[in-house]
Amino acid sequence: MTTRLRRAVLRGFAVTCLATTILAGHPRAETVGPVTDDVGVVKIPKGQPILIAALLVLSGPDLSLGVDASRGAEIAFDDHKNMLVGHPIKYLPEDGQCSVEGGQTGATRIAANKQVVGVIGTACSSESRGGSPILWNAGMPQAVTSATAPALTAADRPMGLQGIVRFVYNDLNAAAAAVKYAQSLKVTKAATLHDGSLYAEELATAFAKQFKAAGGTIVAAEAISPSDTDLRPVLTRIGTSQPELLFAPIFTGASAYLTRQEKEVPGMAKVPVLGTDAVLSPSFLEAAGDSAIGYRLTGIDNDPKLMGSRYGDFLAKYKTKFGEDPIGGFHGNGYDAALAMMTAIEKVAKTDAAGDTYIGRKALRDALMATTDLDGITGKLSCDKFGDCGASHFAVFEYTSGDPSSFKIGVNPKHVYP
Amino acid sequence: MASDLAQGVARRPIALPGGLRPAVNVTISVAVVCAFTVLVGLFGQFSDRAMVVGVLDIGHSLMLAAALAGGAVLARRQRMASVLIVALISGAVAGGLVQALVVVARWANLRWMLVSLTPVTLNRVGFLLPDDQAALVLAASGACAALVGAGLVLCGPIPRRIVLGALGGVVCAGLLRELIRGILGGLGGVDDWGFTYDGLLPAGAAVSAAIGALVTIRPGAARYAQLPPRVKLGARLLCLLVLLALPALTNDFVAQVMMLVCLYTLMGLGLNIELGLAGLVDLGFVAFFAVGAYTVGLLTADATGAGGHLTFFAALPFSIAFAALAGFLFGLPVLKVRGDYLAIATLGLGEIIRVLVLSDMLKPELGGAQGIVNIPKPALFGFVLSSPTRLFYMTAIMAAAAGYIAWRLQHSGLGRRWLAVREDEDVAQALGINLVGVKLSAYTMGAGFAGLAGGIFAGMVGSVFPQSFQLLVSVNVLAILVVGGIGSLPGVIIGAAALIGAPEVLRDLGEYRYLIYGIVVIAVVRLKPDGLSPKAIRQREAL
Amino acid sequence: MPQAGFLQDWLRRATAVDWFLLALRIVVLAVVGTGFVAGLLHPRYGREEWFSFLAFGLTIGAIYALIALGYTMVYGILRMVNFAHGDVFMFGAYAACFSLIACNRAGILNAYPVISFTIAVIVCIAVSAGIAILGERIAYRPFRRGRSLAPLISTLGLSFVLEYSARGMFGAQNKSFPTMPGIDGIVAFAGFSVPRVQLVVVAAAVLTMIVLTLIVMRTRIGTAMRAVAEDKDAATLMGINVDRVIVFTFALGGALAGIAGLLYGLVFKQISFFMGFFLGVKGFGAAVLGGIGNIPGAMLGGYALGLVESLGPAAFLEGLGVTAPYQLRDAIAYTMLVMVLIFRPRGLLGERLSTARA
Repeated sequence: MTTRLRRAVLRGFAVTCLATTILAGHPRAETVGPVTDDVGVVKIPKGQPILIAALLVLSGPDLSLGVDASRGAEIAFDDHKNMLVGHPIKYLPEDGQCSVEGGQTGATRIAANKQVVGVIGTACSSESRGGSPILWNAGMPQAVTSATAPALTAADRPMGLQGIVRFVYNDLNAAAAAVKYAQSLKVTKAATLHDGSLYAEELATAFAKQFKAAGGTIVAAEAISPSDTDLRPVLTRIGTSQPELLFAPIFTGASAYLTRQEKEVPGMAKVPVLGTDAVLSPSFLEAAGDSAIGYRLTGIDNDPKLMGSRYGDFLAKYKTKFGEDPIGGFHGNGYDAALAMMTAIEKVAKTDAAGDTYIGRKALRDALMATTDLDGITGKLSCDKFGDCGASHFAVFEYTSGDPSSFKIGVNPKHVYP
Repeated sequence: MASDLAQGVARRPIALPGGLRPAVNVTISVAVVCAFTVLVGLFGQFSDRAMVVGVLDIGHSLMLAAALAGGAVLARRQRMASVLIVALISGAVAGGLVQALVVVARWANLRWMLVSLTPVTLNRVGFLLPDDQAALVLAASGACAALVGAGLVLCGPIPRRIVLGALGGVVCAGLLRELIRGILGGLGGVDDWGFTYDGLLPAGAAVSAAIGALVTIRPGAARYAQLPPRVKLGARLLCLLVLLALPALTNDFVAQVMMLVCLYTLMGLGLNIELGLAGLVDLGFVAFFAVGAYTVGLLTADATGAGGHLTFFAALPFSIAFAALAGFLFGLPVLKVRGDYLAIATLGLGEIIRVLVLSDMLKPELGGAQGIVNIPKPALFGFVLSSPTRLFYMTAIMAAAAGYIAWRLQHSGLGRRWLAVREDEDVAQALGINLVGVKLSAYTMGAGFAGLAGGIFAGMVGSVFPQSFQLLVSVNVLAILVVGGIGSLPGVIIGAAALIGAPEVLRDLGEYRYLIYGIVVIAVVRLKPDGLSPKAIRQREAL
Repeated sequence: MPQAGFLQDWLRRATAVDWFLLALRIVVLAVVGTGFVAGLLHPRYGREEWFSFLAFGLTIGAIYALIALGYTMVYGILRMVNFAHGDVFMFGAYAACFSLIACNRAGILNAYPVISFTIAVIVCIAVSAGIAILGERIAYRPFRRGRSLAPLISTLGLSFVLEYSARGMFGAQNKSFPTMPGIDGIVAFAGFSVPRVQLVVVAAAVLTMIVLTLIVMRTRIGTAMRAVAEDKDAATLMGINVDRVIVFTFALGGALAGIAGLLYGLVFKQISFFMGFFLGVKGFGAAVLGGIGNIPGAMLGGYALGLVESLGPAAFLEGLGVTAPYQLRDAIAYTMLVMVLIFRPRGLLGERLSTARA
């Protein structure tokens, strides 16, 4: 018995020793070649590709968010002839599955490749919750394309989120735009409806807060579960409180039920509904069919007059490369995120005589945060000190047809405000 | 009327000569499987990813695998040389059939219904060749694959092993290239000769094939068997050590995957007490996982009102306790319900918990959809377990401890009572065993294990969101047990590695993970009803 | 005095668990009762709203009932839960959807709505019955003599396969169900209004159930089904081909699920690959609620579940002052399911099960 015990103790000791030596490993290089950096330096040997990863939702019901942004990024790389500081660009998209765990595992996988310089994305805020701390530890800055939660760039954001630089609007701005539209309609009583998703709940709360601050009343704040198919009872309930506007930042499936069933509920038939760019995609038309006609939503104003001058060209390239018009509302943000990342890399990369390139990780993150007057597709972009760089103008759109193939931002849905 | 219908359903012999029917069946099956991969988009997604760069893509590898299996099935029915010719023809016809289906699909233009039938995909089936040439190429490759399949059955065991090992080696290396790259990179190896970002290079494929073949024929096996047990034990320990050291030696992704495997092992151990030992079917295991995660979240994060500012390790015991309490309170009324009903009742519980934690009603306490964020990383004596590697070691230690407890429980008096209840409730009761008490103890302890896993999960992710507690978690845990072998402790680890680790490593599968998951589960239940690592007692029972 | 005798007997035998259950029962009844009274007194809803809730409840209840019938017939014979049944329903909905779209593309949907509808019914029945039979082959038959867990797991696996095949084949996005001409609009009578499609669905469901009853009660195969459900060994001795009866039962259940899919599409006008699983679970709940193996019970259970889901949030959560009660609708349904399993596992009309496994 005692010998067995002793052997067990010895064995345990050996394992612990091994574990500690291993855990103490992974030293971070300070100076490599001509570059010194607090966080680390990436060395790209001559002729090797420069790796830019992406963490975006590429599967599941929300895939149009991520795929659209990813395509935008690819066009940005194409515009750069797929070369950057003398190296070919290798783009490595990773699926974040629009969830915390998905973001975490995807980020771990990206971070495992120490050659990755920076990351495009995330598309969903929950992906950033899971993934950003890991990317932060790996010293990889993020150029976010459509994660809009205010917390990601809040003044008191925790350490792990500080690698986030956002090239899309903040939900607070989206809610402000919806409130402004409500005021333009002279609405004083509004209702909100969310589906329990991170995005919808946050936006509904922000809208309620700002609407009240602007002197309005929230007469009903309701919620459904994303799998709900029969919204008539909840609409009946909302109808009894007689709102003048229903703000419903919910996703395509539930929005399609909403727009169909609203017309069947006596108290709601005449109440206008305002969605958000969560339904700015052909998949909403696929689900809602002709009942989508007249559905209004807030979204980024992609009006070429307001946008950078290249938006028209961009759309043409998108169509040639992918065979269809943009499938979501975040292609411009994807392009801009990639553009900002490339610009920042060009700013900090140093190439020595042998043709090897060195990029300091902290320097890159700082350069990305310091983006100013970048001439992007979505407008002139300048970051504030918390990493909010979205210069998006908001507009309200209205669907004019239920045919998914007719989806074209500016035509169907058409621009109705401002 | 209705009985006519029933008659029609019954199998009617097709008028074919006896030898031909299996061949026809196999041919059609192979073509159907190939068509299925195209229809569900599996082929489309993988036809532009290389198994071996410039030689073969993953999409066509699937089709070839189907033809290979078809040839093998034929040869197993008729073990004579003439079957080689049958297999050859059968494979060729199947290949031609696939291209014929492509032509039909192109003509019928069903894309409005079947979204995967894009023109590009259809062209890729025939290697972008004109139809007649494509049919020839497909028929030839189908014939070769079927021939190889039949040949493998007919030839001796050693060449069979070598070929299968070599094929397996290439497939593993092709599918797991990122993982292998990571491992080689972590060991400071040079990998440019074998892999590129696009896939395996022919040189790499040759090496993988050689390694695969070596592994299967195990040249030193006979000598190893003669070694003294002490040395064997040492060798096994060495393997274990290497495995444990793998995350630290390679990269965080490996660590993350192994950590998830450990986490699910932990849950599997818990469910094993409920299901494997006491025979309670539980589809709501995620409820206790959620209780554990929220407990850690509430007790450690400072964002919520309820929060004490406990450290992670101080909060963990509460996770276990609260989850066990939840198990006790829920188990009390429910455990009288019989088998299948228990599955549904527990499934209902899991969903109720998920809906409740998501609800606006409990938002002030639990955060609703916004969840609980800013959960501090576990720290021990000022040493923060921030990286996946460190978290992996923590989880591995806890899983090992839990495994030890589970093992001791299994062999305790209580464990025997559980087994008695599982085998026959009536007899157990007649022997004076308190049924409710015994079941309740199993249910409570299982819930405690899930609570521990939930607590670790909260610490790992750093935030808790209701979306993390889907039914899928419960299904995963149950499937782990079934695949690994119910009641078997090593089975839990094997099941977790197969069902959690493999899909994470094969993230490229994307949307198709769950399709393949379902197929694997059905296949294992059918082919290995006692699991991949059945429990020793079961084997004895079978005799 | 049998009553008092029973009470004494209970008191003597009651264990701690029984006391706990009694307390739980009282608490549940109290909560529901309080909420219900408060909800009825609540001024928010008028007569018309309550009528709307009732109509919604009956519509969704009809769909639950059709799904529950498939469960109850199979469970009655085999005593096995088929988790893939909900996905059979989903495939039925897709089949109906695509046949209506095909009719529309051929230009006959609006010209001949009745013919189109008939085509859709036939196609969805054929597809669902086919998939149900396939499921029986793959995931049931090999395990019929095995331990109880194997078929449960294999049907879970089959459910995954069916769902993600549908996803791969038909796309991940929600699919818009074509609008049938002539069933839109609202019917008004006696001061109440109800969407016409709901009337159509309830009527179609009732018709289907009548046909089912005729099949089960009047045909030879129906008699054989009942015999097998009663006692398999005796049925075998009487020369009934049990295998064939089981296949037929699956096909019949699948056909009903297919019709449920069609009706679902008509009501909700939107289908997705993922909708089957939880509807299936609720359908099983409805079957248990009515008394499993009991065909009228499954119908009753379906309607009861639909009504509770539809009326519950308004009727008692509202009264309890819960925020956003509709978010908790699923929780109500599952709570009821768990309560029924605990307190009345034999269901409302009593269960009818086969004496032995096949």
